[in-house]
Amino acid sequence: MINTQERIEVASSAVQEDSEIDLGILLELGSIGAGHAATSLSDILQETITISVPKIHTLQPHLLPGFYDLHDRPTTAIYLHLNEKYGMDILLTFEEMEARKIAAMMNMCGSVEELDPAMETSALQELGNILIGSFLTSISDFIGLTLLPSTPETVTDGFDAILDNFLIKQSIYSESALVFETRFMRNGTDAKCILIIFPTQELKNLLVEKSKSMMGI
Amino acid sequence: MLSLPEGNPVKDAGLAMAKRIGACQQVEHQIVVDTNTIYTHPHLEEVRVDMAGFKVESRPVELVTSVGSCIGICLYDSIRKCGGLAHIMLPQSSLGLQEPLPGKYADTAVDALVKGIREITKSENRLSAKIAGGANMFASTLANGLDIGAKNIRATKEALERHRIRLISEDVGGSHGRRISFNLASGIIIVRLHNGEIRKL
Repeated sequence: MINTQERIEVASSAVQEDSEIDLGILLELGSIGAGHAATSLSDILQETITISVPKIHTLQPHLLPGFYDLHDRPTTAIYLHLNEKYGMDILLTFEEMEARKIAAMMNMCGSVEELDPAMETSALQELGNILIGSFLTSISDFIGLTLLPSTPETVTDGFDAILDNFLIKQSIYSESALVFETRFMRNGTDAKCILIIFPTQELKNLLVEKSKSMMGI
Repeated sequence: MLSLPEGNPVKDAGLAMAKRIGACQQVEHQIVVDTNTIYTHPHLEEVRVDMAGFKVESRPVELVTSVGSCIGICLYDSIRKCGGLAHIMLPQSSLGLQEPLPGKYADTAVDALVKGIREITKSENRLSAKIAGGANMFASTLANGLDIGAKNIRATKEALERHRIRLISEDVGGSHGRRISFNLASGIIIVRLHNGEIRKL
């Protein structure tokens, strides 16, 4: 027979263990999605795109700007969210000049100076659709759920200011944010692109549950 | 850089001031004043205030933060040259979870700044306030009724009224982020936008 203190310790270690398994499953799902997104980006740009080993972090939302430490770096962000049934916010950020270079390549312009601002915005929205679309499709296919994203919005500003807008909503609903992070490499150099995903607790549980049943765990 | 047009009534005064601080050069009959030198002290140490955080200082430093929908609120005791900056995320602490983060909410941030300044100055000198931020950068959050920027502005002003602190200037709203630099030596705040625009509060 174990006393109360021991029971608490056993319970908390069990929770920790479950939590680590769940995080591992979510990381695996994200890696599948990011791999497909990299392939789609590679197809658009006709360049070799690779991804860094994805990471998953759990931290309080307001600590995220300090975590990245990019502060006022000029950044272009593409924001999408999932339909309300599941709830997930997705932010894809590029260093501003990198985003313009990719938009110029998508518009077959020789340089960023030739790029029309309206065409640039349109190209970036399309980029968001393709990258996030392939990310979500691969996860949907794996777990058998339909995950439909909203129309993308783009914004260019300082990194912290963009994150600030994005994090306010997260900080109302959750004390701890689950952040899936990956970086894309273009021809072996860092494309300075960060993918940040905030699933709701309900969606997290659903993804884990579906994945476990798929894997027979 | 700020160009002073010909015939501007403040040109002579501006030129004299710029010459005095060595921040002026004559380029083809046009007077160019380096606003970075005038409005800020390049030698001041920069102290960054993180999201949901606050800092109170009596040293001549520059408190810096970057905001979007959040509010940067600066309180200043101009006699003791002591002030504080908080990076407010949400209007009320009742909206939040169980976290000890007074800088995060409009109501608790103003309390914390006032208390911090009073503890350093040991005086009841009148404080003044300046605020910046409260933008909304994503249209979809407006459509969902989540205009936190506007709610933050309103709640911050209400908190200042409760403490009878005068709001002397503000740069709020819009759809762009702001980098706020609060110079504690002068009490001047410089707001920089991503497009290079500089606003002085």
